[in-house]
Amino acid sequence: MNPRSRGQILHALGLIAVLVFTIFPFFWMVSSSFKTQADLLASPPVWLFRPTLANYADVFADQKVIDAVLNSLIVALGSTGLSVILGTPAAFALARYEFRGKSDLWFWFISNRFISPIVLALPIYLLGLQLRILDTHLVLILVYVTFILPIVIWISTDQFRSIPRELEEAARLEGASQFDIFRRIYLPLGLPGIAVSAIFGFIFSWNELLYALVLTRRAVQTAPVVATSFMSGYELPWGKIMATGTVIVLPVTIFALLVSRHMVRGLTMGATK
Amino acid sequence: MSYLKLEGVEKSYGAARIIRGVDIAAEKGEFVVFVGPSGCGKSTLLRMVAGLEEVSGGEIFIDGARVTDLEPAQRKVSMVFQSYALFPHMSVRDNIAFGLKMSRVPKAEIDRQVAEAARILRMEDLLDRKPRQLSGGQRQRVAIGRAIVRHPKLFLFDEPLSNLDAELRAQMRVEIARLHRNLGVTMIYVTHDQVEAMTLADRIVVLRAGQVEQIGSPKDLYERPANTFVAGFIGSPKMNFLSATVTSRNSDRVELAHPSLAAPLSVIRRGGNGAEPAPGDTVTLGLRPEHLGLEAGDSRIELTADLAESLGGATLIYGQTAAGESVTLQTPGWRSLDKSERFAARFDAAQAYVFDKDGRAF
Repeated sequence: MNPRSRGQILHALGLIAVLVFTIFPFFWMVSSSFKTQADLLASPPVWLFRPTLANYADVFADQKVIDAVLNSLIVALGSTGLSVILGTPAAFALARYEFRGKSDLWFWFISNRFISPIVLALPIYLLGLQLRILDTHLVLILVYVTFILPIVIWISTDQFRSIPRELEEAARLEGASQFDIFRRIYLPLGLPGIAVSAIFGFIFSWNELLYALVLTRRAVQTAPVVATSFMSGYELPWGKIMATGTVIVLPVTIFALLVSRHMVRGLTMGATK
Repeated sequence: MSYLKLEGVEKSYGAARIIRGVDIAAEKGEFVVFVGPSGCGKSTLLRMVAGLEEVSGGEIFIDGARVTDLEPAQRKVSMVFQSYALFPHMSVRDNIAFGLKMSRVPKAEIDRQVAEAARILRMEDLLDRKPRQLSGGQRQRVAIGRAIVRHPKLFLFDEPLSNLDAELRAQMRVEIARLHRNLGVTMIYVTHDQVEAMTLADRIVVLRAGQVEQIGSPKDLYERPANTFVAGFIGSPKMNFLSATVTSRNSDRVELAHPSLAAPLSVIRRGGNGAEPAPGDTVTLGLRPEHLGLEAGDSRIELTADLAESLGGATLIYGQTAAGESVTLQTPGWRSLDKSERFAARFDAAQAYVFDKDGRAF
């Protein structure tokens, strides 16, 4: 065996190890969701079993789960959409204009994320209480926007900076207003970056548990909150928890696959030599 | 008043003065070329005319109106960028129509204008393509098309051909010249290539270090360069410069001596603002390679051969004078010379140039 192919084999083994390590929990969740309670509790664990859809039937019969997935969708789409609408013009300004306090503003966006979320949980709870918006979609959307907006701004600013300045100058000479330049040139050409930040934002909102637990009660429980709520009581319905987990993961996966098309760079190719 | 007028235009970035008091006037329908080595400020000057760079001092007038503080779009100028600056996500049609859409021109009128531009530039079948599906020359034409449809007062070109290969560059040069003739519009064209400047321009502005060295027709600059910089920049291969001594002078002639000259050379004075020479002064003698030959000519200079390059139709011979100065000559046909072979280059004294010790013509 020559050294080169041995190197390749070691490389492949390393990759497989990483892959198994990262995918196994996911595999275990999905496979467990198809097991009966007896198979789930078997020791040693069974690898071959007769799959059942009973857990999914259970999940979809439970109005609480359906509502939770809907709530999660509303909150994730709302917060991601709002962040993109607010963040992209801000990124345009940061990428293309010089103004006083620009670097301070930039640092402020970053420093927002220095604070551990748990530190702010109580103040935000009290604010929500005062404003009487606890247990609404709005309170979660507003809180998530504060997390997603900086991500949208960082990534989009970087993306906008890579757009050749001549395009903007050509458009200015052609009589385009600032807003035209933003909407007709920067937005379409910056789409890869905006899509990436939207994916991050959506995944963040979808999976967020801490604030969802603190700020909601019954009306607006999101999917992660409901999944954890099964653990209370005297029994642990593993199958149902795993099926719920699978149902929760699916929308994010589909969303990521849909927008990943835009992540392909190279849209700017052909603009300039 | 001239159609385009720059008065004492200045540009500084902090302490760095990029453009130092430039005055230029151009008439309607003229083809003006800004030429100079890289970093001379020619592109900055063009961008100031376009309104993409602010003016630090001086005034700019277009068609009699002061535009110094106007937005680019209000100046009614179009620009073709070196990088073309086509919008990559739009079709050729949308690229060309962009400016018209911005000015809220009715749809039918836009279609008519785009079709007209496509016909002029012979790219009717490319209208639905994206810029990345086009070759360099085609992209260039789209950029020109985008400029044409707006019927601007001025066409500005910023080194438009420098991204093209040699063959395409020559072809596009002819197309731009034809376009200028057919449209009869005023064009300002920036290049560092003196061949483009000589072939396209009605009027050439030679710039160096943010200052105008000379303005004139290609023939003027070739025949009466104001100084050694212009003389060396215009013409290819570059003019030969030899250090000579004045032996005598009168109002229309100077007589020069040089170690390699067989006899004192009597040169006609072409005029200029150089210092009045006195016998014994050191001056610069300028000889164009294409005016030096091996057969005909009333004067001769003794050279030692270095190298001969045959181009087929002509041969470039590189030699050295007794003082060690290099001299290039261009002669028709095939020639071969042995290294260190001694030979005489012949020329007509009427085609020699003289410059004072600061390089100014007199």
